[in-house]
Amino acid sequence: MKSAGILIACLVLAAGVPASAWDQLDQEEEVLASAEELKGLSIEELMEIDVTSVTRRSASLSSAAAAISVITREDIRRSGVTSLPEALRLVATLHVARFDGRTWGISARGFNITTANKMLVLIDGRSVYTPLFSGVFWDVQDTLLEDVDRIEVIRGPGATLWGANAVNGVINIITRPAGDTQGGLVTAGAGNEERAFGAVRYGGALGKRGHYRAYAKHFDRDSLAFADGRDAEDPMKMGQGGFRADWQGAGEADWFTVQGDVYRGRVGEPTRADTDVDGGNLLGRWSRKTSESSGMELQVYWDNTYRRVPTVFEEHLDTWDVDFQHQLRAAERHNVIWGLGYRYSRDRVSDSPALAIPPPRRTLELASAFLQDEISLAGDRLRVTVGSKVEHNQSTGFEIQPSVRFAWTPADDRTLWGAVSRAVRTPTRFDEDLVFFTTGGVPFIRGSRDFESEELLAWELGYRWLPLRDLSLDLSAFYHVYDELRSQEPTPGTVLPIVLANKLNAETWGLEGRANWQASQRWRVYFGWALFENDLSFDPDSRDASGGEAEGNDPDYRFTLRSQLDLPGRFELDGWLRTVGELPSPEVPDYTELDLRLGWRATDVLELSLVGQNLLHDQHPEFGPPGPARREVERSVYGKVLWRF
Amino acid sequence: MALLRRTVLLALLALVPLVPAALLGQRAASPEYQVKAAFLYNFTKFVEWLDARPGERSPLRLCVLGNDPFGETLDGIVFGEMVGSRPLLPERVDAGEPLNSLRSCQVLFVSRSERARVREVLESLAETPVLTVSDLQGFLDAGGHIQFVMQGNKVRFAIDQAAAERSRLRISSKLLRLALSPSEVR
Repeated sequence: MKSAGILIACLVLAAGVPASAWDQLDQEEEVLASAEELKGLSIEELMEIDVTSVTRRSASLSSAAAAISVITREDIRRSGVTSLPEALRLVATLHVARFDGRTWGISARGFNITTANKMLVLIDGRSVYTPLFSGVFWDVQDTLLEDVDRIEVIRGPGATLWGANAVNGVINIITRPAGDTQGGLVTAGAGNEERAFGAVRYGGALGKRGHYRAYAKHFDRDSLAFADGRDAEDPMKMGQGGFRADWQGAGEADWFTVQGDVYRGRVGEPTRADTDVDGGNLLGRWSRKTSESSGMELQVYWDNTYRRVPTVFEEHLDTWDVDFQHQLRAAERHNVIWGLGYRYSRDRVSDSPALAIPPPRRTLELASAFLQDEISLAGDRLRVTVGSKVEHNQSTGFEIQPSVRFAWTPADDRTLWGAVSRAVRTPTRFDEDLVFFTTGGVPFIRGSRDFESEELLAWELGYRWLPLRDLSLDLSAFYHVYDELRSQEPTPGTVLPIVLANKLNAETWGLEGRANWQASQRWRVYFGWALFENDLSFDPDSRDASGGEAEGNDPDYRFTLRSQLDLPGRFELDGWLRTVGELPSPEVPDYTELDLRLGWRATDVLELSLVGQNLLHDQHPEFGPPGPARREVERSVYGKVLWRF
Repeated sequence: MALLRRTVLLALLALVPLVPAALLGQRAASPEYQVKAAFLYNFTKFVEWLDARPGERSPLRLCVLGNDPFGETLDGIVFGEMVGSRPLLPERVDAGEPLNSLRSCQVLFVSRSERARVREVLESLAETPVLTVSDLQGFLDAGGHIQFVMQGNKVRFAIDQAAAERSRLRISSKLLRLALSPSEVR
């Protein structure tokens, strides 16, 4: 088992020096590939190209030293997805499983559960995780999909730059600057599952140097179905509004952004009263670009969430966060990025007969600093990045998360990259404070203040290649070694309560890849896949009888095939086939599903579309234990109108 | 399980020889200048040189004055392209060359390296049909025609239509619609 790690290490070393970094999380895929492509672009298209990112050095995706997929605005539009979790299905490298009307399990490289805790998710730089279980309540993560610029999905540890929780990956959802969303937009649609949805957005100028936009949206989504076909009575309704303003300072170097959102929603429950959710956030960012390779950014935000799940729990959470980062060319070959961050969060949790999370109020503070240096060698053909984050939290004190990465670009059309990095998941309130009761009121599972951070050492290697002008390939392989994962230890003698500890270990490995093929001017094809295997083991003194089932339930394979075809008469025909392998325990059968979209850009301002989702089956399960109470996702059809003014 | 582990290792091994020896490549422009090069090419399609004879066959010279930020990108874009009946020809003009040699250009990009003498350059071209473009701040104030500005991470441009008309250049209304007004870049 260990020999695999050593072998990979040797390979990484043999392939040329250690491993490199992490910066260019950027942008548009190979957007600036060739002169031929550049000259084919219209002025309008040129105006849309994002040429640099202020604090992460610009580079085309093809030379990044990390496993990255980008979901573009066009991918989102042409897939017909109606929510952020659905949009994340567009890349095969994420396992997205819908559990019920409000719950999703989303993870990369395994350990997917409905409270998946190894992914960091950011919306415009704002972390949306809850310190309750270090995961994401996906039901309330929403924005106007038309205003999303791109979603970057980075597999593997991103802890050096992003910090704790970026263990298996980072999902970075980035909306467009207000200057790019000017004018009015109205969308409305209806269908059997997406019963009714609509949105309004308007953007205008803010003085001579800035722009703003404001939006409001609402959706009414139908329930899932129980295995026997009965309605699962978990429909969801949510309304959300928000704004964003971007303006340039007196000098061209400074940019300011202020943005915020508010939302309120309600989700049905088959056996109890409805779940209520609401929240809001406000974010300010000041960025200064002093040259091509230097700049700084200061960001402050406040985030408030509230959730009441009757008879289970109620949570109020406020988070304040300040982040600063500075990029400079420290010496001729050295690009340095360093940063400081501080996060303060305070929650208030109410108990129920089913569970308690004492103390009812808890304050968490997190301070962090990172430094990384990207060194250009061999005339920029080899870039080696070394860096580390140091973080301090109240539970486990200091955590050090270093990484070494390399990217070797022997020619403009190919890059070989590799990385070795360490990441941790720090204890959450679930790990430390949670108490589950049996129906008789006896503590059944309880957290422990002795809970330590879960640790990962990740080995990665990848290769990107443009064998033809119209074809790009991306392959990556990983080998992850986890220590101190959460285990459930029965109390000696009495068995109950089962106490959470860190006696589970795991090794996971897999292959991920994608191919993008521009078959013709009018036809684009994407194929993505992910193969995964894991091997769990317990410390010799562990008495865990769960087998680690509660920590992850992951398919061995996933495949995604998408096609975007432009037809004459401004019609668009898009297809999307996806296969997810069987989940081992609790068992969920493998499934293949198909979405189709027919769009018609009737005029420059009016777009009509008809979308069919999950067309191959009446309904199929994606997560949860077998039985009549398992929720299943149903076939869906909806129509949509989009009008710009 | 063991099978996949072996496959992963084999794949890792297989990746290494896929990478041939490093090829020596001429440096391409930064993404920002790749985009600006494409803009320059596009501008030629939306400008009319009023003094040019109909059916003019001589090359349309696209000159870069000073340190060249475009590298091979500009040549790659312009090579083999025609504007109407005229072939496009990229040319580099050294900072040391006499200013009156610039009068044979139809488009002149003034590089940032010429910041100190941009007024002098533009005065030497006053009322000459040469479309002047630069990303120097204050270029329009100095009498230039088109100035690039960065808005966020995107390249935008402003046009001084009156100055262009004085140089007997007609800029299409489509291009003007997309441009910022001179007051927005001052």
